[in-house]
Amino acid sequence: MKSVIIGAHLHRTDIEPEAAAIPVAGLFLSAIEVADDQPLGDRDLLLRVASARARLLDRATFIAIRYGFSVHTQQEAATKCVDRIDRWRELLSAHRDEVEMTLKVAASAPATRPDRHAFASGGDYLRALQRSARAVDADPSFRAAVERLLVPLAVRSRWLRETSSVELAMLVRRADLNRVRDAGEQLRSEFPAVPFLLSGPWPLEVFADDDHQ
Amino acid sequence: MSQETEEITVLETLDHLLDRGVVIAGEATISIADVDLLYLGLNVVLANVDALKRTGRR
Repeated sequence: MKSVIIGAHLHRTDIEPEAAAIPVAGLFLSAIEVADDQPLGDRDLLLRVASARARLLDRATFIAIRYGFSVHTQQEAATKCVDRIDRWRELLSAHRDEVEMTLKVAASAPATRPDRHAFASGGDYLRALQRSARAVDADPSFRAAVERLLVPLAVRSRWLRETSSVELAMLVRRADLNRVRDAGEQLRSEFPAVPFLLSGPWPLEVFADDDHQ
Repeated sequence: MSQETEEITVLETLDHLLDRGVVIAGEATISIADVDLLYLGLNVVLANVDALKRTGRR
């Protein structure tokens, strides 16, 4: 058997019985146990993990670990996570009552994604990709409205850019989720022609990895 | 929930599952064919204004 890791949690009771709990230096990793030969790309497994992830967030805020991390033993999990445990404990304690919300909007003028084959090195390609993403932005009036309606409701927020979309990641108190959703509805009524998605709540994703961005 | 809204919700959930969260050093990003088929990317949906309008309010 192998364990497909979902997230890092403060307490075992935040995980069980929705998922298996793997103790790691005072924290707990949530996991779905599958057969060794189960491919991680299996559609049903992906949906199973996504479903468990949502149920776990209903119980308590946790740090999301990107899909694809699987372990065979508790020792393996501990070895791979040991450098992050203190930071994770700090984050989980500080943000236990907060979750992430995201607003995605199509870029007002999407950038052309650079062609990988036009670059001699991967580094040059990644730099070109970053340059093209930096040039992308949302419609200025829409962005101003987001800053007025949504950003003040967030504990922290950050704009992220990709080549064809712009995203606002927000750290929001659970108690303020309905206010954020109401602000999203107001935004939709003010900008009926702007396609955007306000989604969440999500576990700590963007704001869990500050030191690594 | 309409079928289109449901599809967007699934795509968004998969987008977060596959593309967000802490990356553990040494772990490979999933990019195999099965996932590529599932993980269409929300940007594709966002780019389709008409489709989004049809989904109505979430």
